[in-house]
Amino acid sequence: MVKEDINIGLGFRREIAGNFLEEGGLHPDFIEVAPENWIDMGGYWGDVFKKVTDKYPLILHGLSLSIGSPEEPDWAFLKKVKQFIKDYHVAVYSDHLTFAKMDNAHLYDLLPIPFREDAVKHVVQRIKEVQDFLERPLTLENASYYTSVAAEMTEQQFISSIVEESGCNLLLDVNNVYVNAFNHKYDAREFIDAMPLDRVTYIHMAGHYKIQPDLIIDTHGEAIIDPVFDLFDYTIEKMAPVPVLLERDFNFPEMEELKTEMDKLRTICKKNWTSDVVQQGNI
Amino acid sequence: MLYSKETYKLQQEFTRWCRTGEEIHLENTRPEGLKQYRRLLRNNINNTMKQAFPIAVSILSEKEWATLIDDFFAGHDAQTFQVWKLPFEFYQFVSKQSYGITFKKPYLSDLLHFEWIEIDVHTMPDQIPEPFKKKGDPKKDRIEVNKEYRLIKLNFPVHLYAAEESKNHTGNYFLLAYRHPDNFEVRFVDLPALHTLFFEKIAQEGKSVNDILKEIGEASSPELMPEIEKNISKFVETMFDQKIFLGYQHIYKN
Repeated sequence: MVKEDINIGLGFRREIAGNFLEEGGLHPDFIEVAPENWIDMGGYWGDVFKKVTDKYPLILHGLSLSIGSPEEPDWAFLKKVKQFIKDYHVAVYSDHLTFAKMDNAHLYDLLPIPFREDAVKHVVQRIKEVQDFLERPLTLENASYYTSVAAEMTEQQFISSIVEESGCNLLLDVNNVYVNAFNHKYDAREFIDAMPLDRVTYIHMAGHYKIQPDLIIDTHGEAIIDPVFDLFDYTIEKMAPVPVLLERDFNFPEMEELKTEMDKLRTICKKNWTSDVVQQGNI
Repeated sequence: MLYSKETYKLQQEFTRWCRTGEEIHLENTRPEGLKQYRRLLRNNINNTMKQAFPIAVSILSEKEWATLIDDFFAGHDAQTFQVWKLPFEFYQFVSKQSYGITFKKPYLSDLLHFEWIEIDVHTMPDQIPEPFKKKGDPKKDRIEVNKEYRLIKLNFPVHLYAAEESKNHTGNYFLLAYRHPDNFEVRFVDLPALHTLFFEKIAQEGKSVNDILKEIGEASSPELMPEIEKNISKFVETMFDQKIFLGYQHIYKN
């Protein structure tokens, strides 16, 4: 789907939809949506979605896969996702390493899976089942979390084990690493160093909100702060190029501000990923 | 499932806390972080419903609204994977539990239904009409109907009056909500019972106006028929003007 090595995308949201189609508006290299928000959508928004997906390559980032649920995967949902992927020529289907459904009830948010050995086994089995059904690798995101639940291993051990044993790809959300490191008092760079970076196929960048002196919420409603840009720079220097997404879900600023953020991401990517730099590195 | 019973129970207790706020004792958790989950999940449900039902929010007290949200979140197992369709389950939950009676707002269920069908029609998958002719005989030919509609029955005319006032006008009201094919706008048409009957027979059974008039004629006094025919001719004309009726079918269906 990508035209060049450096691809900076933006989440397609209704509130800013017009800017994706207007001359002089936002022109990301690709867009990302939650399939749950667009499957079976007709009428005005169905028409807008068709126009925007005719114009931009599409990556999916779901909310309802709930890979950490005890119950069976929702095959009816996955059947629709599979068709959606086919209809829109989607290159990447991603979701979260979390659960969002329990006791036959959707919860519409991302809850932390207990970092435990039996959970690793369970999630690995689920990933394999879903990958077999979709006939493609899953890409799963390291989620932000505000408390761990009866953890018996570290977050990095949990993620690395699942990626290694399941064969899935990793969506590395750099802001989530920053948020989790702050909330749970670990070193973000050490965490990055421990991640299987060769399995990262997609990166998310976003803003967050500090609601208490010792607690940050991953809101996607603020601009990216400099320490997160720094962590991004630190991370991608160790990686091959992958698509990078700016996530902004509400509290939208002037479009120029979003463009500036995307430009900044592009500049950091160019610094680390253009062939000149690689050659210099080789010399 | 490869979870141990212990881990499974942890997840159950965690989500139970999120949904009910009932006190739990989860080991190795950060209480302040735990609280965020209940807040975030409840906010998500609350915001979705506020957006879907702006009129209902405005006529209920804060306490009544909070009761609905809390009871729904705790007591209803949400089935749709699409949160924007959850308002339909909310409407069904509120109706089934008779909150309208509890709150002395008997129109509540109809109001939620009315607000929901606007979303439903606005977002429903595109329904491509069969090929149709623009010209035809409105009485003899079978009519191609715009399939992007919902027809509902209300006992309280919340589409015609302010909610509280609707209590003084109870009856059988038939409301057609449809998506205009030119601009995707959702429009509402209040249908009298006779027109509802004609509309359903045309839309659901594919009958021509003459077929339906014949059926009615067999069960009615002959002296009523000229007036009914006149009335229905006007109705059909209006439905074409509003693009609820689109044209005439190419091929007659048996």
